[in-house]
Amino acid sequence: MRNRLCILLIEPSFLIREGIKTLLSNLGHPYRMEEIDAPVNDLEKLINKIHPSLVILNPMLTPKLITLPRDPENNFDPYYLGLIVNSTSAQVQSKFDSLLSVDAEKHELLKNMEKVLQQIGTTQNETESNTLSERELGILKLVALGNTNNEIAERLFISTHTVMTHRKNITRKLGIKTVSGLTVYAILNQHIKMEQIQGTE
Amino acid sequence: MRINKDMKMAEVIHLNHHLLPVLNRFDIHLGFGERSVETVCLDNKVNVDFFLEIVNTFHDASYFPVRHLQSFKASMLIEYLQKTHAYYLEFKIPEIGKYIHQITHDENMQSTHKKLLNDFFDNYQQELTTHINKEEQRVYPYVIKLENTLNNVNASLEELKALKKYSIHEYEEDHDDVEAKLFDLKNIIIKYLPPSQNNRLLHVILHDIFELERDLNNHGHIEDLILVPIVENMEKLLSERLNKLSYNA
Repeated sequence: MRNRLCILLIEPSFLIREGIKTLLSNLGHPYRMEEIDAPVNDLEKLINKIHPSLVILNPMLTPKLITLPRDPENNFDPYYLGLIVNSTSAQVQSKFDSLLSVDAEKHELLKNMEKVLQQIGTTQNETESNTLSERELGILKLVALGNTNNEIAERLFISTHTVMTHRKNITRKLGIKTVSGLTVYAILNQHIKMEQIQGTE
Repeated sequence: MRINKDMKMAEVIHLNHHLLPVLNRFDIHLGFGERSVETVCLDNKVNVDFFLEIVNTFHDASYFPVRHLQSFKASMLIEYLQKTHAYYLEFKIPEIGKYIHQITHDENMQSTHKKLLNDFFDNYQQELTTHINKEEQRVYPYVIKLENTLNNVNASLEELKALKKYSIHEYEEDHDDVEAKLFDLKNIIIKYLPPSQNNRLLHVILHDIFELERDLNNHGHIEDLILVPIVENMEKLLSERLNKLSYNA
């Protein structure tokens, strides 16, 4: 799913990692997470592999880093959230976009995490609407009437690959995967008539 | 939480009531009193290790059965899987079908919509039945035959060779379309059927579909995680036996 937030969590303590996950599910945002529990030597490489939009990091696991890797021009600009304790130095704290103190109270943790998610959300998930575009609607009708991808491609002068992309988007938007499911949808919404499909099935 | 042999069977049901149909497949009936899982299994002549692997796989989708894998007979597993099939075809599907039929008697519902819902479900039922029949008529007999032949120390070269023509991986086809249809049926009811007077009945149908989906997922899981490894192992033994025999011959 496109809008699912990808998070990289770097923290040695199992309990704290579980706590972060509980915090996130309390807030109800869907996310996908990679967890690392050991020191990281090459953070840049790791981020390049995973492409997280949020990195939650215990600074003790990246002792050598003086600055956190960022390169906005190459689409490489994760949001860094530091997991800190009282004794974390101000200099280390200043590297992060935002901080989460592991000693904080629950309501404060929730508030801070919510703020972080909102900040990432505004730059990243301009959530698209779930209504079908004109083109998708046209393709839906053809699928519902029993046309194959190849037939649709020929009819609309587009490639089969493009038809498949449209079909993936239709399925994602409607939550319907099968041709017969799409046919039911199209009839229920009066995009096609029942009589049109009689005899084709 | 892992289910273990020392827990009380009653506790197991309190922990996860979705396990009730699973108990049925082992012919274990209610009225456990204070008896433990182990005692109830013994009383019902059920292999307790096998029982635990099945209920734990069902209870926790991330549970990975490994411990006793080699000690299970494939025939034991197949008996369980067949009972699961019977539960779908003889009980769960007819039950959902009955409710869908009831809803199509609703006078407020457009006849087109009734037909759509009915046809879609019929179609699903047919596909599921075809899929199940294929497993029952082709896959399971092969596995049983493989097990029996391997257990027979005097099995002839011809008998062993005949089995070599098949492999469990040929049967590992995707359940994708059958699964997808059930998924679609949920969304058709939740999102796209116009609001009807029959809300209560629709809720019952949805409940049943979710329950069936969960059971089917677990069924597939057991096939992939327990049955396939057991058969793979037998196929390896078969190759070894064949090599030895052809070498001696």
